[in-house]
Amino acid sequence: MRDQSKSGNWLTAALLAPTSLWFLFMLILPLIVIFVFSFGERAAAGGYAGGFTLEHYANLSSRLKAFQNTMTIAPLGTLVCLLVAYPLAYFLALRVSSKFKLILLVLVIVPFWTSLLVRTYAWIFILGGRGIPTLLEFIGFEGVRLINTQGAVLIGIVYGYLPLMVFPIFVSLEKLDKNLLEASGDLGASPFKTFWQVTLPLSMPGIATGCMLVFILLMGEFLIPAFLGGGKVYFVGNALVDLFLQSRNWPFGAAISVTLVAIMLITVTFYMRMFNSKSGRDESLM
Amino acid sequence: MRIYAIAVFLFLYIPIGIIVLFSFNAGRHASELRGLSFQWYGKALSNPFVIDAFVTSLIIALSVAVLSSLLGTTAALALQRLKGPLRTFFDGMIYVSVMIPGIVIGIATLVALVTVFDFLNPLLATVWPEGVKPPKLSMGYASVIAAHTLFTMSLVIVLVRARIAGMDRALIEASMDLYATPWRTFYQVTLPQIFPAILAGFLLSFTFSFDDFIISFFVAGPNTTLPVYIFSSIRRGITPEVNAIGTMVLAASLILLMTAQYALHRRAKR
Repeated sequence: MRDQSKSGNWLTAALLAPTSLWFLFMLILPLIVIFVFSFGERAAAGGYAGGFTLEHYANLSSRLKAFQNTMTIAPLGTLVCLLVAYPLAYFLALRVSSKFKLILLVLVIVPFWTSLLVRTYAWIFILGGRGIPTLLEFIGFEGVRLINTQGAVLIGIVYGYLPLMVFPIFVSLEKLDKNLLEASGDLGASPFKTFWQVTLPLSMPGIATGCMLVFILLMGEFLIPAFLGGGKVYFVGNALVDLFLQSRNWPFGAAISVTLVAIMLITVTFYMRMFNSKSGRDESLM
Repeated sequence: MRIYAIAVFLFLYIPIGIIVLFSFNAGRHASELRGLSFQWYGKALSNPFVIDAFVTSLIIALSVAVLSSLLGTTAALALQRLKGPLRTFFDGMIYVSVMIPGIVIGIATLVALVTVFDFLNPLLATVWPEGVKPPKLSMGYASVIAAHTLFTMSLVIVLVRARIAGMDRALIEASMDLYATPWRTFYQVTLPQIFPAILAGFLLSFTFSFDDFIISFFVAGPNTTLPVYIFSSIRRGITPEVNAIGTMVLAASLILLMTAQYALHRRAKR
């Protein structure tokens, strides 16, 4: 018996060894390196040259705009995504017959797994000079500029990440006990009150998951502002690409990456705390 | 409500439709539709850069899919036997690999690997026997495959683990009671049950790797993957050729996704 559990342990270790190596060399090591580099000096030809300095962190304010844009547009984009996604998820989960439910859900999710690059550049087309602005000219609105604005970036965000928001909300609404809705109606609550006091609170886990997924992805977004923000509306991701590939300022780029990850960790931890304590209270009320 | 849903579906699919429509454009300019033709597909498919990028992407995506399915499945199977702090550690690593932005992984991997290579290359040169050209480590296929696999492997672990959790334990016990060896139990009972999840993981890994831009952009070294090629073409201006390539990329991922959905659907039915 004892022998068996021992060989079992060996098997477990052997099965986990490659995965552990991957985590070690492709995740832990790179994160340590980037952390160390963020305190280093910049070599004359770019790259990294040892030393210890805090100058890169002090210099972060020179990229303040990128951080400001990211910290305002990422939450805003998440909110707009939620507002667009919720009614759709509600419709799919509670108003569609089970025959079509799966097909419609798949139709929402499929775009998310196709090339974000191609889907985003479609909007350069639509919002660009000969797209919607030309159509607007026909009905008399001249000189409307859509591309390279914050609005264009927001449209791109909603378009790119909507499926990711719909899915978790759909799942939580789908799991919801339909008897509760009937009971609420039988007890004389208006449909609006039922939604506000029963449906919405019960779908909170889905909302929380969806918002977190979208927010996290938006914090590191590069493509959407690169295509639809045209150098005017840029995120931390765009500043990073410039630094690493054009001016090859590795330590400064490292400092920005570390700051970005730190902001994400703090926001997400704070968010989860807040949500957990809230849902804990809800459960105790029940 | 129904109208709203239809509007959202239109919002999701019209841009894709526009790309597809304009890829059949007979005219020379991307934004003016002048009749339909296949000429841009012909042009794209006879462009050696496109073909090279496509082959590169295909090699990378296939390797990533095979590696992630193998590593992810074995890890998921092993993790179910693991408890305590080690389990917490692995769960944390999986969580971080899924959540960390691609751009940070791309940059961190680039910086770390270049540094390690700069350190190892002179070392290898001194250790290597004289007269034989020492190997020179550099960014390339291996680095992209490894960086993609970090994310997709974790994805497979999550998928397979969900399937294991939903599995009927009684079947395994029955198999043991009937004196099947552990290996045979795995092969004839466990594997067929988790197979749909592995297949779905394989296809999703392939799709992720094939469509990824930002990680490849940093760590692919001299290799150009298809998304990197499309990105630089768009920077030079949108042509009907780009639309044709984009349409083919969309079609390829759609076919794979439908297969993945079918696999998962069969899983749900069982």
